Amino acid sequence: MGSAKIANGRRYPLRLSKIERQDALVGFLFIAPFIILYLIFNFVPILQGFWISLHNWDVIGTNIKFVGLRNYEILFGKDKLFWSSLEHTLFFAVLAGPGLIITGLALALMLNQRVRGIGIFRTVFYMPNILSVTVVGLVFARVFAPGERGFVNAILDSLGISMGSWFLDEASAMPTIAITKVWWSVGFNMLIFLAGLQDIPQALYDAAKVDGGGRWALFRHVTLPGLRRPMLFVIVLQVIASVQVFPLIDVLTGGGPAGSTRPLVMYLFERSFDYWQLGYGSAIAFVLFVFLFSISIFQLWFFSRGEVD
Amino acid sequence: MEAVPSIERLSMRQAQSQRQQTRRSFFIIAAMTLFAFVWLVPIVWTLSLSFRPEHSITANLTLLLPLPFTAENYDFVFSSSRIPRWFVNSLIVASLRTFLQLMICSLAAYSFARVKFPFRQYIFYFVLIGLMVPGQATFIPVYLLFSNLKLLNSFPALILPGLASPFAVFLLVQFFKGIPIELEEAARLDGASRIGVYFRIFLPLSTPVLTALAIFTFLGTWNEYLWPLVAATDPDIMTITIGLNNLTATTYQANYGQTMAAAWTAGLPIVIFFFIFQKRIISGIQISSGIK
Repeated sequence: MGSAKIANGRRYPLRLSKIERQDALVGFLFIAPFIILYLIFNFVPILQGFWISLHNWDVIGTNIKFVGLRNYEILFGKDKLFWSSLEHTLFFAVLAGPGLIITGLALALMLNQRVRGIGIFRTVFYMPNILSVTVVGLVFARVFAPGERGFVNAILDSLGISMGSWFLDEASAMPTIAITKVWWSVGFNMLIFLAGLQDIPQALYDAAKVDGGGRWALFRHVTLPGLRRPMLFVIVLQVIASVQVFPLIDVLTGGGPAGSTRPLVMYLFERSFDYWQLGYGSAIAFVLFVFLFSISIFQLWFFSRGEVD
Repeated sequence: MEAVPSIERLSMRQAQSQRQQTRRSFFIIAAMTLFAFVWLVPIVWTLSLSFRPEHSITANLTLLLPLPFTAENYDFVFSSSRIPRWFVNSLIVASLRTFLQLMICSLAAYSFARVKFPFRQYIFYFVLIGLMVPGQATFIPVYLLFSNLKLLNSFPALILPGLASPFAVFLLVQFFKGIPIELEEAARLDGASRIGVYFRIFLPLSTPVLTALAIFTFLGTWNEYLWPLVAATDPDIMTITIGLNNLTATTYQANYGQTMAAAWTAGLPIVIFFFIFQKRIISGIQISSGIK
C-alpha cells in the first residue's frame, strides 16, 4: 500500500502511480461523508464527554469551572444515589437476564420441530419485540394496574386470589418490570437460539442416539455444547442491554415507587437534564462507557478466538 | 449377543416410535398454543379496549372482544391530540434517516471493501471502535452541539446523529467482499466508473442485506427513546414514541379506551409493517447476529 513498483524493482514509498492516485482520491471521497458524521456524532463526543466530566458544567448559567477528577471522587466516594441506581440496574439484570435466556431457549427448543404451522408461533413470540417502548409501557400499565382496574388483578380476583399492587409496591415493582421485559424481548433470543439449533448437524444426534443417549443426555451433550456461540452472544447482548436499561423503566414506573427502581441511565438523565449538572452527568456517562466498552472488548476477543478454532 | 430382530418386530417398533412422535408433537402444539395465548392476551385485550366505549369497559374489564364496537376513541384521538402530527414526524425522521444512512454507509463500505487507498485498514479499525460506543456515552456533548447551533427541536437534530452507523458499514463490508471481483473488473473494462460500479453492481446485488438494514434502522428510529426525549421537547416536533409518553402523563391516563386508542394508533402500523416484512425481519436478525 502506498508504494509504486518501477521497472528495476525498487520501491519508492508514497510515490503513487496515476491509477493509485485516482483510487486514493475516490476512496477518500467515498468514505468522507461517513467519516465526517462519525467524527462529529460518535467519536469526538466521547473525548468531549470526558472533558466535560472534568468540570462543574452548569448549562443554565455560564458557570463552567475546571475541577479535575472531583466529580468522579464524589460519584464513587459519597453519592448514595449512584450506588443505589447501580444496585437497581444489577437487580434488573439478575431478574430479567435468566428469565430471558431460559424462556428464550425453551421456546426455541419447542419450535425446533418439523410440525406444520409451527411458524405461526415464532411470529407470535417475536411480534412484541417490534413494538415501541411507549406502547409496551401503556399496555402493561393496564395489564398490571393496581386495584380492580388491572387485567391481572381482575383475573386473580375472580379466582379468589388477593390482588397485587405490582408497579406501585417496592417489593414487586422490579419483578413486574422484569416480567414485562421478558414478554417484550424474549422473541429475539428465541430467534438466535433457533438459528443456532438449526446449525447443529443431525448426525451428532444420531451418533449420540446410537450410543444409547436419552433425551436429557442428548440435550446436555449435544444441544447445549452446540449452542455455545449463540448462548454467549445472547448473554453478552443481555448484559449490555441491562446496563443500558432506562426507557422501559421510565415508562412503567418512572423510577418509582420512591426511587426504588431507578436505574443508572435514569440517574444520568436526571442529573443532566433535570438538575442540569452536565459535568456530573458526563462523569456517570463516562463510567458507563468504560464499563460497556470493556464488555465489548471481551466479546470481540471471545468471538474472534472462536473463529480460529 | 442379541438376536437380529424380525421384520415384524422392526415395523412394530417403528409404528410405536411414530405414535410416540405424534403424541409428542401434539403435546408440544398444545403447550405452544397455551403460551401463545398468554403472549397475545395483552395485545388482544388492549386492542379491544381501544374499540370499546368507556361504560362497557367499567362494567366488564377483562372482555377480550371489542364489544360493543365503537370507533369513538380513535375519533377523539385523531381530532383532539397531536398524534397525527407526531405520526407524520416519526415517518419523516425514520424514512430520511434510513435512506441517508444506507446511502452514506454503503458508499463508505464499498470504498473500504474494494478501493485501495492509503491507511484504509487503520481507518476501518477506527470505525469499528464505534461499534463499542453506546449512545448514552455521547448524548450530552451531542446535545450541547445542537444547543449551540440553536438546532434543538428540529428534524436535523433528530436525523443526523444516527446516520453514521459503524454496524451498517461493518455488515456491508463483509457482504461486499463476497461479490466476485470479476464482475467489477468486467464493468470497469467496459468503461464504468467507480460510482457506476457501486450503483449498478454493488447496490442491486446486495438488496437482501440492504433491506434487512433498512428495516432495522427504520424500526430502531421509530422506537428511539433517549435521544428524542432530550432533543425534541417542543410538542410540534416530537416523534410519536415520545409524544405518546407525554400525552399519557397528563389527562388521558384515567380513560382506558382513549389511552389504548392512542397507543395502538402508534403501535398498529408497526405491527402491520412487521407482518408484511416478517420473513425479512427474522432472517435479517439471524444474518446480522452472525449466528447464521
